[in-house]
Amino acid sequence: MDKTININLGGTLFQIDEDAFRILHDYLQAINSRFGYVQGGHETIEDIESRIAEIFQSQKGLAGVITRANIEAMISIIGKPEDFDHGDPDTAAPVYTSQKRRMHRNPDDFIISGVCGGIGAYLDTDPVLFRILFVVSSMFGIGLFVYVVLWIVLPVARTDSQKREMSGGSYHSAINQNKHYDNAQMTGTPQYSAGYKSSSRIGNAINEIFMAIGRVFYIVIRIFLIIIGVVFVLTGFLSILSFVMIFIFKFPGVFSIDSSGINLINFTDFLNYIVNPASVPWITILASIAFILPMLALIYWGVKMIFWFKARDGVFSLIALVVWVMSIAGLTIIGFSEGISFAQTAKTSAETLLPNSPDTLYVRSDKKIADLKFEKDFALPHDEYSVYINDEKKELYMRSYLAIDRSDNKSTRIEVRKRSAGRTEMEAIKKTEGLIYNYSIKGDTILVDEYFTSPSGRKWSADNVGINLYIPTGTILKFEKDTRILLHSSFRNESDEYLESSWESVDGLWVMTDDGLEPAHENSVKHK
Amino acid sequence: MDLENNKAQMRKGILEYCILSVLSRNSCYASDIIKELKEAEVIVVEGTLYPLLTRQKNAGLLSYRWEESQQGPPRKYYELTDEGRKYLVDLDKSWQELVESVNLIRTR
Repeated sequence: MDKTININLGGTLFQIDEDAFRILHDYLQAINSRFGYVQGGHETIEDIESRIAEIFQSQKGLAGVITRANIEAMISIIGKPEDFDHGDPDTAAPVYTSQKRRMHRNPDDFIISGVCGGIGAYLDTDPVLFRILFVVSSMFGIGLFVYVVLWIVLPVARTDSQKREMSGGSYHSAINQNKHYDNAQMTGTPQYSAGYKSSSRIGNAINEIFMAIGRVFYIVIRIFLIIIGVVFVLTGFLSILSFVMIFIFKFPGVFSIDSSGINLINFTDFLNYIVNPASVPWITILASIAFILPMLALIYWGVKMIFWFKARDGVFSLIALVVWVMSIAGLTIIGFSEGISFAQTAKTSAETLLPNSPDTLYVRSDKKIADLKFEKDFALPHDEYSVYINDEKKELYMRSYLAIDRSDNKSTRIEVRKRSAGRTEMEAIKKTEGLIYNYSIKGDTILVDEYFTSPSGRKWSADNVGINLYIPTGTILKFEKDTRILLHSSFRNESDEYLESSWESVDGLWVMTDDGLEPAHENSVKHK
Repeated sequence: MDLENNKAQMRKGILEYCILSVLSRNSCYASDIIKELKEAEVIVVEGTLYPLLTRQKNAGLLSYRWEESQQGPPRKYYELTDEGRKYLVDLDKSWQELVESVNLIRTR
């Protein structure tokens, strides 16, 4: 059954169905806007309303619901406002220009109480301007005060004539937009509004304040959500941008925090040496999906939070989730199948004893990274693990590090420790033996390479080479020029003191003490 | 020329005169005035009448009192004021003159 509405028309109550109500409403609105501003016009409106009531009564008695047909019959009797002209030249073609303006609160355009909407209508300006003005000036306290005063002082433009006054006649009634029609508006004759106002004024004020608090609360939450939304969108957007820039366009430096330490741009090239090259495109695609999809979701959520809309995105989200899970599953499968090659790690080491333990030992680097021929390099962040790729020779070069330890006997010796991973321990050991690392001892000078080489055509298998130099207490160690690269950047002694700060000041001169390596100053060396 | 428009213009001119004439015979409700004007085909839609009644009342030509009705709320019962009667006499005279003028032109 259709909804029926009770209306009070010319002092008589009628039941009217919703459809008919809308037509009647528009009709009365048209009459209102025809006569509302003419002198004595309210009386005319009342007369016409009484007549409408009379016609309805003659049609229905007092029982029954008024339908569309009733309304149409009534309108054909009374006529449309534009047909009234035939008798009255004065009401034809009304001109509003001389309409006086009075500021009201706008009930059809409000955020909190319609103050800004009213000012906007009064000045024919976008109310948003005043809203921003009030928010900004509220930060200094004035705006809030002015706003509250205006809220109290300005009346709400309830009737049509007030709405017309609010904007000097140019106001377009909200009724045409079917924005809100209720009984109060329906029977919006002057005497009705007057009664409505006086009877429940205090109740209205309290109600209005609560509504306003609710709206303020809502606005605060909206602003909060908008901020989160913006953060989401920015995060997602920048993540995708940096992902694309680094891995697809290989745009170096910009997005890395420390361009010397982090070099991920050639990761995809390096992948060719880690896994079966056939699976590299798959890994690239799957990893892109696995990373970009959540970022897109983040952007979408952000946009949703900012613009606050509802969308039928359930199926879409589900598909996206399934695709994402599948990409992760695919990566996992590839990871497992390729990971087998890294199942076991093995370490081998070889020691060389120096024939005599010199008082002063010189350290020099032999083969330098600076002289390397390579196309691409790759570095893991934080881990100080750098790989240099020579695609032509299919060789990998990796940095090796020198560590200085105290010899527990009087001997001076060098130990080279190699580490590799493989399917089995045997394979891993074999792989360590394949790693090429050279050093040589010439009198009291040792020459070490800055890198080691993985044989041509072999895959990378988490290879590592470390050189340990053991020297007895009292031995002076002189690092020649440009040998800093041989040592870890976090260069420490036995008692775990960080020695970096002294490197420059001692000019590469160190001495082994019972507490480990310490910076040696010229005079202390002479003293010994 | 638009005949309908011309007829409407003519009716417009005499409408106020007709209302006062109806009320000169006896006081009545708005719906009674409408009934008579409609029968004489002076008005087409009822809505035309109401603004005129309001204006004539405001001009002091007629007045109304509320009359209880058997069904529904009280209704307005219109009657001519003294000023209205004087005004009607003037209008009667001008109408007579108008008719004579037109006849003079038509029969010449």
